[in-house]
Amino acid sequence: MSTTASAPRTPRTPRATGASGGRRTSASPGPTRHHNALRRRNTALGWSFIAPNFIGFALITMVPIILLFYMAFTDWNALTTPNWTGLANFERLMRNTTFRAAVAQTFYYAIPHIILTGILALALAILLNQKLKGVAFFRAAAFFPYITSIVAIAIVWNLLFSPTYGPINEILHFFGVANPPKWTVSSTWAMPAIIIVGTWREMGYYMILFLAGLQTIPRELYEAAKVDGANAWQRFVHITVPGLRPTTFFVTVMLAIQSFKVFDLIQVMTDGGPGTSTYVISYFIYQKTLGYYSTGEFGYASAASLVLFFICLTVTVLQFIVNQQADLVKPWWSSLPMIVGLVFFALAVWGFCVGHALIIGWGWYLVLFVLCFVAVGVHTSILRRRQS
Amino acid sequence: MRSGKALAALTIAGALALSMTGCSNGNSTNGGTTPTDTGGTTPVTLSMSGWSLSTTPEFQTLVDAFKTKEPNVTIQIKEYDPNTYENLLLTDMTAKQAPDIITIKQAKYTYQWATGNQLMDVSDIVSSLPSSVTGAVSYQVNGKSYGVPYRQDSWLLFYNKDLFDKAGVAIPDGKWTWDDYVNTAKELTTNLKAAGSAALGTYEHSWQSTIQGFANAQKGDNTNPSGPYFSGDYSYMLPYYQNVLSLQDSGAQVAYADVTTNKLTYQAQFGKESAAMMLMGSWYIATLVSQQKSGDADQFTWGMAPAPQVDSSTFSTPVTFGDPTGMGINANIDPSKLQAAKDFLAFVASQDAATALAGIGITPSMSSAAVTAAVFAGAGMPTDTLSQTAFQTHKTYPENPSSAITMNISTVLNDAHTAIMSESTDPATALAQAGTKVQNKDW
Repeated sequence: MSTTASAPRTPRTPRATGASGGRRTSASPGPTRHHNALRRRNTALGWSFIAPNFIGFALITMVPIILLFYMAFTDWNALTTPNWTGLANFERLMRNTTFRAAVAQTFYYAIPHIILTGILALALAILLNQKLKGVAFFRAAAFFPYITSIVAIAIVWNLLFSPTYGPINEILHFFGVANPPKWTVSSTWAMPAIIIVGTWREMGYYMILFLAGLQTIPRELYEAAKVDGANAWQRFVHITVPGLRPTTFFVTVMLAIQSFKVFDLIQVMTDGGPGTSTYVISYFIYQKTLGYYSTGEFGYASAASLVLFFICLTVTVLQFIVNQQADLVKPWWSSLPMIVGLVFFALAVWGFCVGHALIIGWGWYLVLFVLCFVAVGVHTSILRRRQS
Repeated sequence: MRSGKALAALTIAGALALSMTGCSNGNSTNGGTTPTDTGGTTPVTLSMSGWSLSTTPEFQTLVDAFKTKEPNVTIQIKEYDPNTYENLLLTDMTAKQAPDIITIKQAKYTYQWATGNQLMDVSDIVSSLPSSVTGAVSYQVNGKSYGVPYRQDSWLLFYNKDLFDKAGVAIPDGKWTWDDYVNTAKELTTNLKAAGSAALGTYEHSWQSTIQGFANAQKGDNTNPSGPYFSGDYSYMLPYYQNVLSLQDSGAQVAYADVTTNKLTYQAQFGKESAAMMLMGSWYIATLVSQQKSGDADQFTWGMAPAPQVDSSTFSTPVTFGDPTGMGINANIDPSKLQAAKDFLAFVASQDAATALAGIGITPSMSSAAVTAAVFAGAGMPTDTLSQTAFQTHKTYPENPSSAITMNISTVLNDAHTAIMSESTDPATALAQAGTKVQNKDW
C-alpha cells in the first residue's frame, strides 16, 4: 500500500525521469506532480467541453456513415436482415439510365451554380464593402433569401415562373419574346430555373464570407496602388484576388459540396420532373428510400450515396491540390498533368452519363484521371519539399 | 460524512421505489392484458395507426362502433403525420414499435410490408368476407391476404348542373364514351364563354392517376401479371393522353403547367365553379358537401355520373379505378391480443361498419343499397337517380396492384406522365421509353 502510494511522488522509471528532467532544470517531485495533475485536469476540462458535441457527432453522424459503407453492399430494405450482395448494387446503378441521368444532371446543376454563385457573391461583397448609404440594409437584404423557408421560396418562384400567368414571362412578352420558356414545366428549362433560384438563394451567404475576407485586406495596399496609378481592375486583380485566396478556397470547397448535394430545392420546385429532367443523385436516393413511390431499397440507395460521397471527395481533393499548387514556383509544364487529368475526369463522367464508350470505356478514363492526379500530387509534394 | 451516506442511501432507495412504481404502472397500462384472451370477457387494449384524427373521423367512428359490439376491447389510435405516414410507420416497424392494427393508407405498400414480415396473413378473415365487399384483392401478395378493406373509393365524374344549364348543354346521361366527354367539355367552354362565364369545361388534376388510372382499369388489365401493365406495352394509354392534351390545347381545361406552378387545388377548381366537370375519387363527395356547408365552396347544384367508357359495352357496369383503404395486423402482435385484432378486422368490413362509415360520408368497402341510401340521406347530397347509380354500380380495378415491381413501374410511369403533360415529350415517345424501361427492369 505504501509502495503504491509513494510511487507517483518519486518517479523512478527512465521515461518519467527523462520527461521530467527534459522539461525542468530542477526536477523536484512536488512541482512535477502538480504539473501533471494540472495537465490532467485541463485535459479533462477540455474533453468535457468537446465531449457532448463529439459524442453527438459520433452517434448521429459517424455511425450512420460507417454503416452506410456496409449497407451499400447489402440488399437491406429496413425491414429484413441485410444480406451481403457484394457489388450487385453498384452494377445495377451502372446499368440504370435514370441514375446516369441523375449523375449528369448533378454536374449540370453544380458547375454553373458554383461559377454563378461564386462570381455574384464576390461582386456583391465588393459592392457592399464600399462606404454606401444604407449598406447594412442591403447586406441584410442580400442575406435574407438564405434564411427564408425553402418551401416559401419554391412557391413564390414557381408563381414567378408560371408559363401563362407568371410575371417573368409577362416581362419577356413585353420585350417581344414570342415563345418564352415554360421554365419549371419544360424539360429543357427546368434545371436552368432551379440554378437561377439556387444562385439567388445562396449568394447572400457566400457574400458574407467574402465580406469577412475583404475586411482582412489592408486598406493601405489599395491606397499605395492608387498612388502608383493602378486602376480599379488592376487593384482587383493584384490586391483583392490574392488577398481573398484563403476565403475563395473555403467558399469554393463549401459551394462545391453543397451544389453536388442539392436536393431540397429540386424536391419542392419540380419533384425531379418533368420526366427525369431534374433528377439529381440526392433526389434519386430519396426516391428509392422515402419518396412517394419508395421501394424501401436502403442498400441500393446507400450505394448511390457512396457514389455521391466519392464525387464530393474527388472534387474537394482536386481543390486542395490546385490550392497547394498555387503556392509553388513551378515550371509551365507542371500544370499539364492536371489539365489532362481534368479532361479524363470530364470524359469519364460524360462516358458514364451517356452510357457508351468514347474510344475507351468511362472506367478507363477514371483510371487515367486518378493516375494523372497521383502524378500531380507526387510532383507537388516534391516541389513543396524543395521549396520549403 | 455519516449524513452524506444517509443521503446517498435515501437517494438510492427513492430511485428504486420510483423505478418499481414505474414498472408497476407500466404493467397495469399494458396489461389489462392477460395472456388468454380470445375475444371473451377479459379486457384487451389494442393500438391502431391513423392520421389527421381531427379531420379524418373514420378511425374513431370504426372504434366507437366496434366498442358497442365488443365493450371489453379498447382501441387506442396512434396519430401519425399524413404526409409522411408510411415513412414514420416504417421507422416504428424497424424498431418493433408499430401499432397492433396497421392502417394501410396506400395499398401499394402492402407488398413491401408483407414481404418484410410486418403484416400477418389474414386470409382466414378475407375468405369469410361477403361478396359485396370490394378491394380485398389489393392486399394480396403471393396468394395470401394481408389486409381487410374498410373503405373503397372509386373515381366518378362530378358535374355542376348550374353551369351545364347556363351553357345550354345536356347533363351526362351515364352513357358517355371518352369522345363524348371531350366534345362536351369543349362545347361547355365555348358556350360558357359566350354566356359571360370564365368557367372551363372540365378540370384535370396533375396526378398521374387522373389519366393512367382509367387507362389501366379500362385497357391495362393491371391485375393480370402478364397484361400490358406489367409487360411494358403502354400504347393503350395513348388515346387517353391524346384526349387530355386536346382538351388542354383547346383551352377546355387548365393546362398542366398552370396547375403545377400555381399549385391549383381540385377542391377550389370545382367547388368555386371554375370548371363544369371533374373526374375525381368518391372521397370528394364528403369534402364537397362539407365545403358547401361551411362556405368554402359555392352553392350550386351538382351531380355524379359514371366515368366515361371506351365504348358502349361497359355502360351497364362502368369500369373505373380506385384503391381501397384497409387494415392489417402487425405480425409481431402479442398473441394474447390476436383474436381481438382479428375480430376488429372482420368488423371493419361488416354491414355495421359500412352503415357507420356511410353516415359520415365515407364510401365503405361493402357496397349495398342500404349503404347507398345511408350516404345519400345526408343533407347537401344530390337527389337524382343517376348519381346514386353511379355511386353504387361500377367495376373498380385497383390503381396499384400489389406486386414486387408496382412501385418501380409507377415511378417510371409518373416520369412519363410529367413529361407528356408538360408537353416536353410527345406521348407516343414517352410511353415507348417507359415501356422499354419496364421491360429492361431499368430502375
